[in-house]
Amino acid sequence: MQSSLFDTLKKFDLLIIAAIFLLFIPLLTMQRTTDFMIFCVFVLAFDLIYGYMGRLSFGHMLYLGVGAYAAALSAEHLSGNPFLALLVAVVAGGAVGLLLGPIIVRTTGACFALINLAFNQVGFFLALIALAEWTGGEDGMAAFYDSVWIFDFGDPKVIFGFTLLCLIAVVYFVRRLTDSPFGILLRTIKENETRAKFLGYNTFFYKLLAFVLSTSLAALAGALTMLNYTYATPSFIDPTRNVEVIFACLIGGAGNVYGALAGGIGYMVISNYLPNYIQRWEMFLGIALLVVVFRFQAGIWGYCRALITARKGEVKA
Amino acid sequence: MQNGMVLESQSVSKRFGNFTAVDQVSYQLFEGEAAGIIGPNGAGKSTFFNLLTGLYPPSEGRISLFSRDVTSLRADQRVMLGVVRTFQLVSVFDTLSVLDNLVLSVVRFHPVAGKKARFILGSAHPAAIVAECMAALERVGISHLAKETTAKLSYGDKRKLEIAMGLALKPKVLLLDEPLAGLSDGEITEVLDLVREVHKEMTLVIIEHKISRIVDLVTRLSVMHEGRLIADGVPGEVLQDPTVRQVYWGAESSRVFSGLAAEEKAEV
Repeated sequence: MQSSLFDTLKKFDLLIIAAIFLLFIPLLTMQRTTDFMIFCVFVLAFDLIYGYMGRLSFGHMLYLGVGAYAAALSAEHLSGNPFLALLVAVVAGGAVGLLLGPIIVRTTGACFALINLAFNQVGFFLALIALAEWTGGEDGMAAFYDSVWIFDFGDPKVIFGFTLLCLIAVVYFVRRLTDSPFGILLRTIKENETRAKFLGYNTFFYKLLAFVLSTSLAALAGALTMLNYTYATPSFIDPTRNVEVIFACLIGGAGNVYGALAGGIGYMVISNYLPNYIQRWEMFLGIALLVVVFRFQAGIWGYCRALITARKGEVKA
Repeated sequence: MQNGMVLESQSVSKRFGNFTAVDQVSYQLFEGEAAGIIGPNGAGKSTFFNLLTGLYPPSEGRISLFSRDVTSLRADQRVMLGVVRTFQLVSVFDTLSVLDNLVLSVVRFHPVAGKKARFILGSAHPAAIVAECMAALERVGISHLAKETTAKLSYGDKRKLEIAMGLALKPKVLLLDEPLAGLSDGEITEVLDLVREVHKEMTLVIIEHKISRIVDLVTRLSVMHEGRLIADGVPGEVLQDPTVRQVYWGAESSRVFSGLAAEEKAEV
């Protein structure tokens, strides 16, 4: 009986995810909850590369930042249409992925992580200093969006609803991606790329594809952040903030859509509440990570899944 | 042999630094053959396989497949032309289910599921694909393990799975790198029966350490030693070749050889 309950829950997972975020509203502000969801989009983008394809990036903030600045620049130079800004951001994220990807995806391990970080540093420098004329440098840049039809993004309820829709769409999209033969191929690349080649797959192409999809989704998260805050600062592209998404992925459990969501929420809850009690709350994040590494290697979701499987076994027996 | 040439290497060499692993090997494989390559450890057999299948490019020489120069083609492109291999250390995906190990092979040449859009966004487990995967597992006799995590399989079952993955790619040539290594006697018989069965449909190349295991199976035998091809021909003749005996069984050859051969035969 238990197992059928879990299976039923799984069928309505998108609704459940939506309900969880709606429940957060009374606990936090609406803008903060929107932040949570945007962060979850970012974690999903990161997890595609890390959890599924097995490549750890220390520079994903670059792609988020590109999205945020692209959305801001679109409002300033093209038009105030927020949907155009989103489109420009996603295309910009994809373009950066396509430009850097051919260099980055050839590498693995520490090299992959650090080459991403290097590009992130370059991007940070560009946004902060070299292109300060356009990006406003340290002060950042504000952007204002017109309201289109019912979408007045000045209204927190609208941005909340829209971000929720985006998150659900991204969850659905990533799940389709990872449940497909392509998803299996990504996991085989993680485990043994040479073997995947000998099954007749041009792994370079598929790695690049996954990378570009990831950078595009990260840029979407950046653009949504822009809509939520209406200004972009260099903190959106700050390489030191890469730690956040890596932590979130580890806490939640890498290589799983629900794990990414659990990690996104988990990290945001910790970073939201702990600072109220302790000024240097990052130390406790470190402790949390140590606990994860030593006790719950598969993350929150991995632990839940083990419990569910154990339960299922019990029911059968 | 009047059949067409399948795979050919022309004076292929591979050097790693100062070490020459494969030295000027010219080799031809004809359609329908079951060719064995034997040789002591470190003779360059696996390196030669890696060159044929495109794991790395040769330092010199060229490789052609169905009379087409494939020297500069990647491994995956050669797979698409019909060259499929297994590895000396069994190479399957431990973290996936047994069934999922086969999905990529089955989908690769599938007219519908193989299309890009389907491949990227479609389900990995439509009924048609699952049925083909199960048939492939059935053929090697491990369909009852389909739902298991591959890591839990015995070495022998992993070897069968690896062969199933290769067969599902519908190869024209199958290269087996020591497929019997590490298997129990029972498993060796099973895998040999399977290989015999498979040979009816495709050209085979088998690397093996123990001659006696494959001597009844192969139609042709080549011997490698220190990167060179020192003998190539009908098994009976190759085994009588004095040079082969010299390098393979050591100096005091003939009496030891007949004894060894009998001993190995008994083992099989």
